[in-house]
Amino acid sequence: MTNARTAWVSVPVAVMALGLVSAAGPASAEDTIRVGAPLPLTGPLSPEGLKQQRGYDLWKDTVNAAGGITAGGVTYQVEIVYVDYESNTPRAVQTAERLIAEDGVNFLFSPFGSGAAKAASSVSERYGIPTIAATASSEAVYDQGYQFLFGTFTPNSTLTDPLTRIVTDSGEGVASVAIYARNDLFPLAIAREMEKSAEARGLEVVSFDEYAIGTLDHGSALTLLRLSQPDWVFATGYINDLILIRRQMSDLGIQPKVLTMIAGPAYREFIEAGGDLAENIASAAWWHPAVSYDGQDIFGTTANYVAAFQDKYDALPDYAEASASAAGVILQLAIEAADSIDPQAVRDALAAMQATTFYGEVEFGETGQIVSLEPPVFQIQDGEAKTVYPPAIQQTDMRYGGIK
Amino acid sequence: MKGSPLAQGVGHRAGRASLTRPLCGHPLPEGEGSDAASNRSFLVLPGPTPMLYAQILLNGLLLGGLYACIAVGFSLVWGVLNVINILHGSFVVLGSYIAYFAHVHWGLHPFLSIFLSGGVLFVVGYAVQRGVINRVIAAPVLTTLVLTFGLDLIVNNGMLLAFTADYRTVRLEHPLGSQIIGGLVVPLDRLAAMGLAVALTVLLFFTLARSKIGRAIVAVRMDAQAAALMGVDVPRIYAVTFGIGALMAGAAGSLLSLVFPISPLNGTEFLGIAFVVCVLGGLGSISGAIVGGFALGAIQSFGALWIGPEHGLTIAFALLLLLLVVKPTGIMGRKGYE
Amino acid sequence: MIRLVLGVAVVGGAAAVPLVADNYLLRLGTMLAMYAVLAQSWNIIGGYAGYPSFATAAFFGLGAYAGALLQGAGAPMPLAWAFACVVAAAFAALLGSAILHLKGHYFAIASLVVAEVLLEITTSWTSLTGGGMGLNLPILRIPVDAQARLFYWSMLALAVASFVMAWLVARGRIGFALRCIKQNEDAAAMVGIDTTFTKVVAFVLSALFVGGAGAMYASWVFYIEPPDVYAVLTSVKPIVMTLLGGAGTLFGPIIGAVLFLIMEETVWRTFLSVHAAVLGLIIVALIFFLPHGVLGLVKRRRPAAPTAGHGSAGQEPANRGGGA
Repeated sequence: MTNARTAWVSVPVAVMALGLVSAAGPASAEDTIRVGAPLPLTGPLSPEGLKQQRGYDLWKDTVNAAGGITAGGVTYQVEIVYVDYESNTPRAVQTAERLIAEDGVNFLFSPFGSGAAKAASSVSERYGIPTIAATASSEAVYDQGYQFLFGTFTPNSTLTDPLTRIVTDSGEGVASVAIYARNDLFPLAIAREMEKSAEARGLEVVSFDEYAIGTLDHGSALTLLRLSQPDWVFATGYINDLILIRRQMSDLGIQPKVLTMIAGPAYREFIEAGGDLAENIASAAWWHPAVSYDGQDIFGTTANYVAAFQDKYDALPDYAEASASAAGVILQLAIEAADSIDPQAVRDALAAMQATTFYGEVEFGETGQIVSLEPPVFQIQDGEAKTVYPPAIQQTDMRYGGIK
Repeated sequence: MKGSPLAQGVGHRAGRASLTRPLCGHPLPEGEGSDAASNRSFLVLPGPTPMLYAQILLNGLLLGGLYACIAVGFSLVWGVLNVINILHGSFVVLGSYIAYFAHVHWGLHPFLSIFLSGGVLFVVGYAVQRGVINRVIAAPVLTTLVLTFGLDLIVNNGMLLAFTADYRTVRLEHPLGSQIIGGLVVPLDRLAAMGLAVALTVLLFFTLARSKIGRAIVAVRMDAQAAALMGVDVPRIYAVTFGIGALMAGAAGSLLSLVFPISPLNGTEFLGIAFVVCVLGGLGSISGAIVGGFALGAIQSFGALWIGPEHGLTIAFALLLLLLVVKPTGIMGRKGYE
Repeated sequence: MIRLVLGVAVVGGAAAVPLVADNYLLRLGTMLAMYAVLAQSWNIIGGYAGYPSFATAAFFGLGAYAGALLQGAGAPMPLAWAFACVVAAAFAALLGSAILHLKGHYFAIASLVVAEVLLEITTSWTSLTGGGMGLNLPILRIPVDAQARLFYWSMLALAVASFVMAWLVARGRIGFALRCIKQNEDAAAMVGIDTTFTKVVAFVLSALFVGGAGAMYASWVFYIEPPDVYAVLTSVKPIVMTLLGGAGTLFGPIIGAVLFLIMEETVWRTFLSVHAAVLGLIIVALIFFLPHGVLGLVKRRRPAAPTAGHGSAGQEPANRGGGA
């Protein structure tokens, strides 16, 4: 039984090796604030992960270039500990625990999207680590009674309500809407909000269909949708789904008066990939570079932020990137207000926050979700996402028709 | 579990909507005014049911031709080498990227870049087989399966680094658009892509049947040892076959670049398609791939019509499982399985 | 006797880890135990019987949802876990009778597709499973450290149970029957082995604890969604681990699980965006340089293994002249 004996020897050896691996995490310096950021850097969500990373990095570099964050008489440099969770939610949960228990981060930025943010928030809640979710809008994320979770996206209804109001008040005779949603946490949640908004404004919801993740053909669903001749088509999903849906709509000659897609049109990649087909798609997002705030944060005005972003990345920031930077800014304001990096003190400062930032007014509701934003409605016109609402930042009027 | 009553409600509603809509068939939801209707550029379909079925069938066939082209190389490699090539999906994506860059830099139409992507992929496939897979070609099923899985991780990660996961599309200068023929909406670019896909597949069929190398491949597929005794260089035939499999994947990738957004992440979806088509049609036979491709396209389309769009894939997979249980050789298969 | 003492010592040592380890190390330990359960279970159908099963993810996901739904309905955790074991085993019995007549690639694909079908069904059955919105489990209102320990010990217990199961299989009649089937199924049938029954039993055993691990996992992470619990990687990883350690051996899966976890963790920590490629390289290197796993390496130094027990079970008949 030599093999058996070797086996017994290898187990303790391996366990020791495991211990060495885990003990090798970097030591945290005294004057550094470490923020953990689990990101989907590989896998299906990697484009989103890279966006968030850009937003966080811009904040971190700006803060450190300005000398750091001062609290309790100590000036801290900021370090962001990135870990790739491979677009895999359990991995995100594991990562969150590793960042807190192993790497000793002081604060956490949530993983991407509502699902992963919700899953990981159970970890940070248990450890009492203030956590800011930059990309989670679904109310289901925040209704768990957690104390340490804060989110920079308003509930989904704040997107669908103004959109519906603009369309129904337009006098263009838009009377019916067809909803087509990806069966996934956020796309489905916002589609359901849309259904409510539409019914509240007297629109007839002629169909509500879901499609599975990874669907490669929308032909049948769209053929059916065409039969009911909706004035308004409301499709949700991520960029790849939406481009495919848009192409097949065009193939099948579906030309509603209004076409809304969420979430994608706010990204320049969508406009580039969509080309002519992206024209006149109306959508809403939590932020737009045209908004104008005079913030008390490190970036100051929205224009300054946009300029800083363009300097660094040679592109206009979109709402996901801005929200990531805003998460950093909000954390910084809370630390400064608390004058401490103690988790409980910072948590309390977050809960009590009433501040203006480049991103907008910041105030969190009972559940920790931001309540003070007014998400802009925009439409893609001539290859650009132009705002149509709210009036203060309106760049153009909503066009009806023109969907090729 | 808080959300489940709500979920239930919406679920029912969705199900009912999809089922009743084609039947009730009033073309306008509201009698809200004829001017509104005339503003719309919708086609008013005559009797919904027959035309609807015809349209759905057409959609399915357009899809099926592409599916066949995705699967045929996979099927060939499986049949001849007895290797399940997990890399196949990534090969297709690689072909799409070649088409994309050829279009962006040289303005080459994807219909023309099939030669480029096919050629490049042939070389890649030949090299991978000769250099890596051939070393374990005699090993059990699991070994080659896990090996190609490992290779796929490498290739896919490489593509992710090189091209990022951003979705790209080939946007033609002069798209053909759609045409209404006999009341059916026919997307011409898709039709052309499908036609080319089927043409390529048929070409492969004749190559195998008529050419010297083709006959050698068929001989190896029938009985590698006997073929070796007859003087066939079996390792070379293996490498050529794998190369042809990759070539077909690359060519399919070029054609698909017109239809699907391009990203390394699509590889798994294409691989799944190849699996299903192969088992549906029967492995290793070209005609099986064509039949399987069209069958899958039609199943998906009608499944989405009758049971709901979110179930298109489920039906395809469930059917595949059922077919495996009752008739593992597939619709067209005749050879024994193993 | 010595082995028993050693065994108790190792299990006791593993159970005492929480005394010295922090919560993250405990999380890795829990993961390790889970991997060991998966690999040990797969080894029964894949290693001993030689059937390339990719159904691990199906059993795991099914167990996760079965357990989560029962827990959501108010059942206590241990009951939910036991229920998940039963569900997975029953499912395996049904599935096994349907697809175990397939061989080679066909069996591989059929088992692979099962997870895919379950994934789609779970996703579309929104009223029961929450669909793509995922499913939340009740949060445990006990301290963080206690939770970490609870799940570590539970998973460790499951790993020990699956080891004992594998041990019983390996030295029992069924292990012998499975090895015969692997060598030559027709011949096995001729010498009077009820091959169908034996294979189904092996398949059920390979599902039993995987279902439990899925349910335990669900309780552990509090939130599950279909693409995660039915991930193809959940099927592939146990295979790689078992191959790494040595297929068809008792200790191979455990050694493989340990080595795999160490590699995975090291690679993941060291390489931010190329860890998938590095994992791929490791797999390729493994196939070329360690075709019979770590245990194969050890054995190769000695001439042919004398006992039929663990000796040649891991090898394919094609690679061995006179194994049995």
